[in-house]
Amino acid sequence: MNGPVSRREWLDRASRGFGGVALASMLRGAPAGRARNVIYIFNHGGVSHVDTFDPKPTLARLSGQTVPASFAEGLKTSRIDFRKAIMRGSPWEFHKHGDSGLEISSLFPHLSKHAGRLAVVRSCHGDAFDHAPAIFLRCTGTQFPGRPGIGSWMAYGLGSENKNLPSFVVMSDGAMKSGAGAYGAGFLPASYQGTVFRAGKSPVLNLATPDGVTAAAQKETLDFVNSMNRSHFASREDDSTLDARIKAYELAYRMQAEAPGAVDVDSESEVTRKLYGLDEPVTADFGRKCLLARRLVERGVRFVQIFLGTNLGDDWDDAHNDLWGSHIKMTKKSDRPIAALLTDLQGRGLLDSTLVVWNGEFGRTPLAEGKNGRDHHPYGFSMWMAGAGIQGGRALGATDEFGLRAVDQPKTIHDVNASILRMTGVDHTKLTWRYQGRDQRLTDVHGEGEFTGWLLGQA
Amino acid sequence: MTLRFSLLAVPLLASAQDPGAQAVAVLEQRCHQCHDARTRMAGIALTSSAEVTAARDRIVAAIGYQAKVKMPPNGRLGSGEAAALTSWIGAGAPWKAGTGASRAASGHWAFQPVRRPAVPGAGLPVDAFIDAKLRERAMRAAPEASRETLIRRATYDLHGLPPSYDEIQSFVRDPNPSAYRDVLDRLLASPRYGEKWGKHWLDLVRYGDTSGFEQDPYLLYAWRYRDWVIKSFNDDKPYDRFVKEQIAGDELYPEEPEAQQGTGYYTIGTNRDMLYKVEDINRVETLTDFVDTTSSVFLGLTAGCARCHDHKFDPIPQRDYYRLQAIFAPFQKTRVFLHYDMARGYDLQENTRTFRLHETGAQLSALLDPHRKALREARLAQLAPAVGEAFATPDDRKTPEQKALFEANAKKVEPSDDQVFARLSKDELAQLHEIERRLVGIYKNYAPGPFSPGLTDAGREAPRTYLPAKGGGDGEEVGPGFPGALGGGDIPEPPRDSATTRRRKALAEWIASPANPLTTRVMVNRIWQYHFGRGLISTPSDFGTRAGAPSHPELLEWLASELVERKWSVKEMHRTIMLSAAYRRSPRLPPAAPERDPENSLLSHFTRRRLEAEEIRDSVLMAAGSLNGKRGGRPVVPPLALEELYGMSQPVGNAWIVTAGRAEHDRRTIYMISRRNFRMPLMEAFDRPEGVLSCARRDSSTTAPQSLSLLNGPFTLAQAGALASRLETAGHPVAAAWRAALGRDPSAEEAGRARAFLDRQTANLGSRQAALVELSRGLFNLNEFLYVE
Repeated sequence: MNGPVSRREWLDRASRGFGGVALASMLRGAPAGRARNVIYIFNHGGVSHVDTFDPKPTLARLSGQTVPASFAEGLKTSRIDFRKAIMRGSPWEFHKHGDSGLEISSLFPHLSKHAGRLAVVRSCHGDAFDHAPAIFLRCTGTQFPGRPGIGSWMAYGLGSENKNLPSFVVMSDGAMKSGAGAYGAGFLPASYQGTVFRAGKSPVLNLATPDGVTAAAQKETLDFVNSMNRSHFASREDDSTLDARIKAYELAYRMQAEAPGAVDVDSESEVTRKLYGLDEPVTADFGRKCLLARRLVERGVRFVQIFLGTNLGDDWDDAHNDLWGSHIKMTKKSDRPIAALLTDLQGRGLLDSTLVVWNGEFGRTPLAEGKNGRDHHPYGFSMWMAGAGIQGGRALGATDEFGLRAVDQPKTIHDVNASILRMTGVDHTKLTWRYQGRDQRLTDVHGEGEFTGWLLGQA
Repeated sequence: MTLRFSLLAVPLLASAQDPGAQAVAVLEQRCHQCHDARTRMAGIALTSSAEVTAARDRIVAAIGYQAKVKMPPNGRLGSGEAAALTSWIGAGAPWKAGTGASRAASGHWAFQPVRRPAVPGAGLPVDAFIDAKLRERAMRAAPEASRETLIRRATYDLHGLPPSYDEIQSFVRDPNPSAYRDVLDRLLASPRYGEKWGKHWLDLVRYGDTSGFEQDPYLLYAWRYRDWVIKSFNDDKPYDRFVKEQIAGDELYPEEPEAQQGTGYYTIGTNRDMLYKVEDINRVETLTDFVDTTSSVFLGLTAGCARCHDHKFDPIPQRDYYRLQAIFAPFQKTRVFLHYDMARGYDLQENTRTFRLHETGAQLSALLDPHRKALREARLAQLAPAVGEAFATPDDRKTPEQKALFEANAKKVEPSDDQVFARLSKDELAQLHEIERRLVGIYKNYAPGPFSPGLTDAGREAPRTYLPAKGGGDGEEVGPGFPGALGGGDIPEPPRDSATTRRRKALAEWIASPANPLTTRVMVNRIWQYHFGRGLISTPSDFGTRAGAPSHPELLEWLASELVERKWSVKEMHRTIMLSAAYRRSPRLPPAAPERDPENSLLSHFTRRRLEAEEIRDSVLMAAGSLNGKRGGRPVVPPLALEELYGMSQPVGNAWIVTAGRAEHDRRTIYMISRRNFRMPLMEAFDRPEGVLSCARRDSSTTAPQSLSLLNGPFTLAQAGALASRLETAGHPVAAAWRAALGRDPSAEEAGRARAFLDRQTANLGSRQAALVELSRGLFNLNEFLYVE
């Protein structure tokens, strides 16, 4: 790569449209995945690993007892004392699924049919045990706000395939426990910021022509701006930023034309709409987001991040005092749509080039919080990935017999992020941005536990 | 004067015939910065034969660049240097006293004392330095900009607002030779100056009105620090004093509450008390914030890296980081009483008021709860019996099913206030009104107290500070002091009768001293950057070894010394810079500029810049005639559309409490609330920083969402409407529109284009008024409007 100054210069140029150009070509090398796009489902609030993807028979057998003191040592959360709280086995059954025999709990009847596609990581761990720091950590690599989200890094690294749509799109259920910083551009230019797609026909803020302005009048005003800007530019042709802004208005106009079509799920067949559960109130909202994700990657959007759960409504975090209710509610919302997404991507030949990631803040304590709950638990938990050539039906690493600590092949978020980048052909040590005197990376100085080889079945 | 700005080229002053002297010179120039007796990074010092010999194998491996540790980290030694060093080490490293250059000359340039250089030629010193470089590169400079351009540039740079049409005209017509200087004097004397330069400072000190993290609660009095910053700039408070008040106003000026307000600096960042529900972690993270922000804002040092290990590029060993951290260890957040008597009076009133409110709350419950309960029970009776049972079962005994039933119905059965009030008897209603009247009485004249957020020490004793041990836990204890690479020095124990540790006092005096090599260089470079878009050092908060060489090293030295000469007056620095021909140049490129100096680092012409986010909003308000010039006070929350408020972590009703009074919403952007978890969409689109990390230089991106928000956003629409209604009553609406938005008259061709536009839009939209709105909306989106040149 070139020196920092000329690269910054190059990036300034690249940042004038949506995203960079083909930085990827500069980074490609080494055995890597073939993902062109990423759909990243982020579970907001904390999913219990021992009730979903990490079966713990011992926990069920010893339910009601405390764990041996040596296991409790060094573990802490805000609400429970690991030395005193009692173990609670999962109220859900685990079954082996498909040829692979991957074990998944009965919370995911639909997703279980895709067991052969899922590469589960059972040994995630971190140290952020509250929501905001954990969301920042899992999405941006540190527990503090202010750094770019993984989608911004990808937009910067991979650029855009569709000049009329943003390269990083975010859909959420509204209030984020972290605020919008989880998908902010941090110190990267604003052009790499996640663009929030909302419900409705005008998915991007201020996309619609203002009320009372007709399409013809809008066009007239844009033409006026354009012609005035061109006259202004005629005597300043050395300054390409002025030209870039003229083009930004043209792009805005094209976005006005293209984006509403991209989100028009009514144009999908009845069968597809049903598949995603758009006909059922409980699945309609998340189903629409998953369907939109497919439509967006189909149109070349690089990174779609969907946040499931909200600070001010349905949330995995209700598991503090209601494990049963919260996890039933959230899986009813999301299980069928996620399974539909995998089916649909596969059916359209997109799964091969699309990486699907299912990740979250942390797991939940295998020990009981109060009578019916589980607390936050960052010391060992699960996530999964699928698509883009991943060999599914397998699980990497393990927590101890109680599901407390990642003990075999522990993986930090840096290892996960390094692997996600590598799955798209990007070397995480080379995707850098100079800030505060350092070449900053998504993975900071870490990521040596990258496991792309395992994901692809090459190791 | 010769300064050595590159570490990569080691001029071998020592004679080549003396390999020993050459080896020592290499050590001094390439190694000692991190490995001398003071810095001792990784525990290695290379200042005697014995030490070098002991580390022999590690040195040879490291300079070979094959092993994991590669030294020097900023570039491999030349083969001649490596050979000289290796053979000398092989010979037992015979050390001859007095060989090689002195350490002071060999260290990083920015860590050496500032020395005032001779000005190379006549005329204004700034121009002498700039022109010398241009001559060196055989480049011509652009001529002076037109007066119209110049006054617009100066007004935006000092006020963040455009000049009015009349101001432009009077400057253009002013025959007085001092016309330009007079404009600068007028601009610098206006309180709008502090609103612009205060914002630069607030970016640096990561200012915000809320705490951040999930709950993102308000920092209720942060705005007093904001106003203190604005006032400090307007008063032209000497920069050394400005620094001292922020770092240790409490210890240095115990009798001056206004000075102590400066310590709000520590409290207006992301509040790490909100990080976890664990006090120890939060306190350590707060200390980290203090060390990182202070070293980067005041010293241009990226010390943060040294928290976990010796700094990889700069001579800041981990020990030095913790010595800095020890300075802040005894901190305690506090309230500065602006007027002691009034503050006590306020607290006393608050005390009585709270007691009375507890009583009022009890009375309200007694009055209303029976009715609420009756209503709730009546509704429950209409639901399935299982629901009633679920409600009747205590929370800790509810089954999961009962819990679900309870949650599903809790809101349904809860009566509204109006329904409760409807049941009250005449007598009860009278009681309610009496309580209401009392509440209004309690809150009559209610206003924020006379406090400002601040910081002091908990006492004379400080908690101990330890280096982190290798395997976790505490290692060796360290005391407070300054980085060795900057001269070092320990901070002594305070006198027995001291109320504080006086550690920050020592730090403030050390930073705000002409002898500190970084303080003045960093500040004059910031001022320069805010005028020219780029500093003489392009990394304004990193003056370490990776910073790259300054474009005009001697000018930087001269400016740094000039700041002290001018009694640390920032306004004098503006005059010094803005009176120069270099600042007054046209933006038109002179011949050969694009090829020889594509980044314009030699300043042959003026680099055009896009307005910053706040400047855009303020300029639109000004052009529309809506701008409310009211200064200071509580942060204003302007109304936003619900879809603009998307993604907040707290209910909009709590997190976006709109300020009463239409005119308040049209105040300058610096007075709008800056929530840590949420930026107004227009601000976010135009690169306003998040206010989470110190921001020394904003991005200036160009994106389609910017165009969408400025073209279609509700703010633009409202202000276009305001401008249009002024145009309607103007005799020549097109000319009036051009004057308001662009500060000039339209050309005949432009006027024709605009009239044709208005005719077509009148046909499109059915009214002249709507067409004028469209014209206004268009003008706000012009590059001529959005760029300063």
